[in-house]
Amino acid sequence: MPSPQRYVEIKTSTPIYWSLIVVLAAIALIGIAAAHHMDTEGHHITGMSNQIVWGLPHVFAIFLIVAASGALNLASMASVFSRQEYKPLARFSAILSIALLVGGLAILLLDLGRPDRLIVAMTNYNFKSIFAWNIILYTGFIVIVGAYLWLMMERRMHRWSKPAGLLAFIWRLVLTTGTGSIFGFLIAREAYDSALLAPMFIVMSFAFGLAVFVLLLLLSFKLDRRELGISQLQRLRKLLGLFTAAVLYFVIIFHLTKLYGTQNHDFEHFILLEGGIYTQLFWIVQIGLGSLLPMALVYAPALQTSSKSLVLASLLVILGAFAQLYIIIVGGQAFPLNIFPGYIVESSFFDGVINDYTPSLWEFLLGCGGVTSAVLITLLAIRVLPIMPDGLPEQVQ
Amino acid sequence: MRLRLSSLPLFLVLGVLLSAALSICGVNAADQSASSFGQIVIPAPAKPVDASHCVEPVEVMRRDHMKFLKHQRDTTVLQGERDSKYSLVGCMNCHNPTTANEEVIRYENPKHFCSSCHSYASVKIDCFECHADRGLVSSQQSNLTLNSDSRQLTAQTFNQKLDPSRVD
Amino acid sequence: MSTELDNIELRPARRRFLKGAAALATTLVAPGVMLYKTGQAANDNGKSIRWGLVIDSNAMSESDVDACVSACQREHGWKTTANSATDAQWVRKVSLRDAESGHQRFLPMMCQHCDNPPCVDVCPTGASFKRADGIVLVNRHTCIGCRYCMMACPYKARSFIHEVLRDQLPVAPRGKGTVESCTLCVHRIDRDGADAVPACAEAVNRGDRKAILFGNLNDPQSEISQRLRQLGALKLRADMGLNPGIRYQGL
Repeated sequence: MPSPQRYVEIKTSTPIYWSLIVVLAAIALIGIAAAHHMDTEGHHITGMSNQIVWGLPHVFAIFLIVAASGALNLASMASVFSRQEYKPLARFSAILSIALLVGGLAILLLDLGRPDRLIVAMTNYNFKSIFAWNIILYTGFIVIVGAYLWLMMERRMHRWSKPAGLLAFIWRLVLTTGTGSIFGFLIAREAYDSALLAPMFIVMSFAFGLAVFVLLLLLSFKLDRRELGISQLQRLRKLLGLFTAAVLYFVIIFHLTKLYGTQNHDFEHFILLEGGIYTQLFWIVQIGLGSLLPMALVYAPALQTSSKSLVLASLLVILGAFAQLYIIIVGGQAFPLNIFPGYIVESSFFDGVINDYTPSLWEFLLGCGGVTSAVLITLLAIRVLPIMPDGLPEQVQ
Repeated sequence: MRLRLSSLPLFLVLGVLLSAALSICGVNAADQSASSFGQIVIPAPAKPVDASHCVEPVEVMRRDHMKFLKHQRDTTVLQGERDSKYSLVGCMNCHNPTTANEEVIRYENPKHFCSSCHSYASVKIDCFECHADRGLVSSQQSNLTLNSDSRQLTAQTFNQKLDPSRVD
Repeated sequence: MSTELDNIELRPARRRFLKGAAALATTLVAPGVMLYKTGQAANDNGKSIRWGLVIDSNAMSESDVDACVSACQREHGWKTTANSATDAQWVRKVSLRDAESGHQRFLPMMCQHCDNPPCVDVCPTGASFKRADGIVLVNRHTCIGCRYCMMACPYKARSFIHEVLRDQLPVAPRGKGTVESCTLCVHRIDRDGADAVPACAEAVNRGDRKAILFGNLNDPQSEISQRLRQLGALKLRADMGLNPGIRYQGL
């Protein structure tokens, strides 16, 4: 009978830890300053326009929100599917998902044309809008996962953590369905208008969330010199490979479905063959570097015990994730609306042309600020709360 | 769940973060009130161009102008009723904040009719992000062309077209 | 809000259900609240109103379309600058060329004032709304600038204001960080009712030759309904079932 898992705040006070905290905080502050500048000047200083209305901030935000729900996976496996081997990581999984969601929401909020009207968004609901559902889903997620985390950490309330875990699991599935449906329900644009986007976003969340989880887990363990057994690494490695393959499957099915209908041929031709940056991002970054290479790293027999290869694979999955979301969000808007089928259309409002988008520094800084806030919240939370297991050494059979 | 003393540097970092964030948010407020620290500036709103009447007695307007305007804004936008005696355009046409030397007084200027009290009472409004913060000056009223500055749009004869009761 | 509005056209059953449910909820929850006069929808005969335009592309030359655009700019105070990608365009000139014959025509393109507007469906705060008389507007007092309506609009009819504006015209308040589009000259309609002439129509109509005809689509006796009955007209992207209030002849 193994002794119960102990959870201890990380204690490191090395210059590396504190300089990491300072750098992250500085980038987060720069992000806030960039958002303030965008708000004062107006969005003309960004690369966004009346053609590309959602740009780089939304790529960052959707990445964080999708990864947030996926980061909760490890906790769900322990609580909902009774996989005891993931139990020690459940608390970290929960706090990470909250942090990522907060980072993503901060970006979305600060990119609004009128961020000062947050109170309007919280008090006026149009219940037919998926956005309005998402406002409820996101705030509900933070509350539910927060309660779930507390139930896991408070010994006397421990027996309630399982139903709370189930609720959090169902909620996160609904949440990511909502995120995917933001795009999936847009009938007007050929790039979207597909029910497939909702399940695809769920599978994307599995992969993106796990990649972020692996990176931050290894970082925190290394910072505090805690021991992480090889079999724990192996499990994460196998999961990452599986999830990456599942995303690839959905991407293939998504494009095959679009390719089958003749009316979407122009759009597929654009993304897959002649879309310039979008085509390059798709084949080189999303498929090559973001899907095939990480799978090779994960499954290569020679690398099975290497934690470096797992780190690299996670980084590549995140790189591919950004490429994928950039293609979905920006590429989908770059392709023109087909208002007058059968005509060659021209206007002063960019009808009938592929729209340009060059992200500005401000948008990039805002996005980076959101990412670093999420990491910062995580690194600070595991310092003040007993979230991290004191070590996960290899179990002797 | 307990907090440890060794987390002191952490709270230092948090404190720095918080104060920096606050200072960024407060930049605008500081700009306006920097000169009035240590002394209370009593608002002295400029008298209207035509001081003979207002739509309600002054005491009522002081207390309730925001209710009138908010009610009118909703009935106009949602229900299309444009003949209310309360309208922001009406306010601005009368309390037209232009000085004798034709200097344009913007809402950011504490001498502006609205901001003189709002800055005193620390009231933040966003009316003038979409509505003009001054009435149409007479030289603009017959001017149908667009000014060279892209953000300075001059106007046509709104008063005669939509509000025949008002005589300027 | 627009439950009393009933169009001649069949709507999707789902929408009827939603409207029925909304009407039921309204009766139960807020009697009285919903009874206010919305957009002066009911005229003296008690008939419902749906304002619309018929645009006869055969009667419009390229310069006519240009005249529409500049009339709208004068009326509402928007203008083109050097930053064409971020400029607001309430109405725009669209050139349509047939690839085979090379035949070219020009159209004014603006908000189509749909009966089932996707922008209204997706707006999280309800700022994007349809008045009881069918005009689709943005309530700038509750718009948070999320631009989801711009993603959802099949006609690319909306613009986001990318910079600080000053000295807006009284009839068209507009400001940084909110979304806007053609209002069908709602201020003229509220003043003149069925006799109103939107600025674009005023710019191109000469005598009896009305290249842009404004009127009540729900009144079978109106000039616009009669013209539609006799000559027919096209709804853009009719396949989407949005039932736009702007109709095009000659396409």
